[in-house]
Amino acid sequence: MSRYQLDQSDLQFAREFLADPVGYHSPGLQRVLNRMRGADWACKYVLVTQERHGRWLLGKMPRKRGSEIEIVEGVVYTDLLDAERDIFRRRWQDLTGNDLNLALQNAA
Amino acid sequence: MLPIVAYTDKLSVAAGETLSVMASSFGAREYRADLRRIIQGDTNPEGPGYKDERIDLDLGGARKAVEKRFFPGSCVIVPAQRVLSGLSDFTIAAVVRPTLVDERERSIISLPGFARIGIDGEHFVAEAHGHRLEVKQPVNTGAWHVVSLSFSTETGSLTFAVSKDNEAASEDVKPLVQTAKVAGLRCDAKEVVIAASRGSDGRPAQFFDGKIDRPAIFGAEISHDALRRLLADFSQLARMRSLLAAWDFSVKMTTQTICDISPYQLHGRIHNAPARAMTGWLWKGQDLDWKKRPDLYSAIHFHSTDFYDAGWDVDFTVSLPDDLKSGVYAVRLVPDGDEEAAYYCVFALRPPRGKPSRNTVAFLFPTCSYLAYANHRLAMDVPGTEIGMGRVVELDRHHMFLQSNPGIGFSVYETHDDESGVFHSSRLRPIVDLQPKVKSFLGGFGSNVWQFNADTHILGWLDAIDQDYDVITDEDVHEEGMRLLGQYNVVITGTHPEYYTRNMIEALQGFTDRGGRLMYLGGNGFYWVVSFNEDMPGIMECRRSEAGIRPWEPGHGQFYHAFTGEYGGLWRRNGRPPNHLCGVGMTSQGFDICEPYYLAPAAKDPRVSFIFDGVSADAKIGDFGLAGGGAAGLEVDRADQSQGTPDHALVLASSTRHTDIYLMTPEDLLDPTPDWSGTQADIIRADLTFFETAGGGAVFSTGSIAWAGSMAWNSYDNEIARMTSNVLRRFNDPERFSIPEHKDS
Repeated sequence: MSRYQLDQSDLQFAREFLADPVGYHSPGLQRVLNRMRGADWACKYVLVTQERHGRWLLGKMPRKRGSEIEIVEGVVYTDLLDAERDIFRRRWQDLTGNDLNLALQNAA
Repeated sequence: MLPIVAYTDKLSVAAGETLSVMASSFGAREYRADLRRIIQGDTNPEGPGYKDERIDLDLGGARKAVEKRFFPGSCVIVPAQRVLSGLSDFTIAAVVRPTLVDERERSIISLPGFARIGIDGEHFVAEAHGHRLEVKQPVNTGAWHVVSLSFSTETGSLTFAVSKDNEAASEDVKPLVQTAKVAGLRCDAKEVVIAASRGSDGRPAQFFDGKIDRPAIFGAEISHDALRRLLADFSQLARMRSLLAAWDFSVKMTTQTICDISPYQLHGRIHNAPARAMTGWLWKGQDLDWKKRPDLYSAIHFHSTDFYDAGWDVDFTVSLPDDLKSGVYAVRLVPDGDEEAAYYCVFALRPPRGKPSRNTVAFLFPTCSYLAYANHRLAMDVPGTEIGMGRVVELDRHHMFLQSNPGIGFSVYETHDDESGVFHSSRLRPIVDLQPKVKSFLGGFGSNVWQFNADTHILGWLDAIDQDYDVITDEDVHEEGMRLLGQYNVVITGTHPEYYTRNMIEALQGFTDRGGRLMYLGGNGFYWVVSFNEDMPGIMECRRSEAGIRPWEPGHGQFYHAFTGEYGGLWRRNGRPPNHLCGVGMTSQGFDICEPYYLAPAAKDPRVSFIFDGVSADAKIGDFGLAGGGAAGLEVDRADQSQGTPDHALVLASSTRHTDIYLMTPEDLLDPTPDWSGTQADIIRADLTFFETAGGGAVFSTGSIAWAGSMAWNSYDNEIARMTSNVLRRFNDPERFSIPEHKDS
């Protein structure tokens, strides 16, 4: 289990991620992403390819090998960076209990 | 999902030979087959486009798609040959170290129809003709136990005893004993199954996860204390008059044969390739090499997830026409008329055996590396893979199939259900990621292709420049060595030729030593030791000892391969660092984005002017590509004279930074400090490297998996593809290269 827990002070890194989801990140953002993408199965979102390079569903990976991958109803992506941002928001909600968009508005 | 999957009996076949195709329906009703030459498999719209070529060969019409299944799980099967018939007084015993207990029933040793010792749920149990005894204390995984079931006609006592080894010698071993009064027993078993039993369908079932050592059967009741003494000494045991069978797993460890040391010689065979040469009951660290003390390596580690040969019935055979040119081909199976759902059984059509083809260029199809990654589940089983990817995990259709069908067997990146490492990977089963079109986890932002499909960027380039070439496989080089390689001026590798047998690495070194030219168009090549088994064609072993970026370790004292006795792990630790062969060696990995190279002063050296012919004099090269947007990345290698890079090697260009996803390899990270990352450590870079060899040959190494993704950029019309073509043109010219007298000359 990760020692690092997200809080309000990480909002600056959320802004950084939403601006540029893939590539070079500040150490602070990398730490946030390590928390979100690490060993915590509770927020193990994955993209389930419907059309290669064109259309993806959102899934949740089960811990147990052979178990069914849960498809999150009603979520379809046609752009990978949009998917990255949406999954970041979902993980923020999962890990802090707060809506990221609202948190960013309140902090502005 | 995949409505049909299949495999062929070989990954390498010559024109004029036949290939058998084994297919199974996973929803398909029927299918049609055709033969395709694979030219470029990446479907990225930013790339050159998918391309294959239909071969005009009739593979028959519609065939019914028959459902076949996977039957994983390893065990030992011993035909009893009437030795056990009529047995009444008896003792069945074994030494066991369970590694996984759950709700399943498992058998340690069974005489089907008569008796068994096993684990049901979390408890040791024994049964004989319907009489069941259970030890109430939960099984202690990770500890050695002696288990025995005995019966005496005279007393009518059926006795089940379990004793757990104590760490402290001062404590007496106290067996847990359960007894029952039984009127009489008579054995009618026709076989002994170790680590499993027989299911109602006649197949092995109730697989055991864990180690078993020295199972034995006696024709008399023997006390548990006496058993502990006897089992500890095979020489005494063999003289025991009541002994009917005792299997010493340390004999013939490199084979499938299991040897009985009793005079009845009830020898058996392993099923589904469990791990042999494993530390046994009496191993306490006395030696670390099973070849020196095989007696201490008398255990087999069985897994309910071991898998060797799917054994499916042959659907049809393909006779490859004599005039078909060497290349990468696939038998394509189209289920129910749905071309989008087609399954590709990829194989290499090698040049004719025993006579040289007219081609002077060979693409070395890295089947060992394909096998290592076969059906890998990295981002599915290992949650942290996403951190190394630096982006969200994409599951392609074949990943969904793998999730639904774990019985297909693992790659050497996985762990078994008991969390011990997977040592073996077999090609005698469908390999669903050895297909064109498929996406992966590790291929970087962009195409996100890996291993075979990434290698089709190289095949596509060879096609685009109209280059004739042969395709030879790792297994071909392992078998034929320099006899095969010697036919060529140039050998071109794939993007990630990571796994090498000793035969292969010595043959390739011999090739460059003798004037051959090697184009290493990849990263993290020639890294891990793997071995084949002469008694088990099609399976490969890898034990990841000591160093290297690895998902597991083989366990204390188990670093030597069972197949060959070789020390497992990195070639760097086995006297064959990749730097000797190709001038560079693995330094870092990250699977998000890639970088350009920046030219070094050595790029102006006249020795390498041919490489830059027609390439602009910009300081930066490869700032584009289908793999992460640059030519340098994913897995990168550096030149390092301390690891064997030749003194006269020229580093022509290097990447100068990577994201902080890129970290140092464990073998170089001797003292972990937080500055060993891509934005901070100069050692994390790809070095584009060239050197000549004493025999008149030369080596060109990109030190980057992403290089080929840049070759394919803009339909192969770019400076990276041009440089690669320049190298190939000069390398294919027989004119000798000469080592300069001084490095700066």
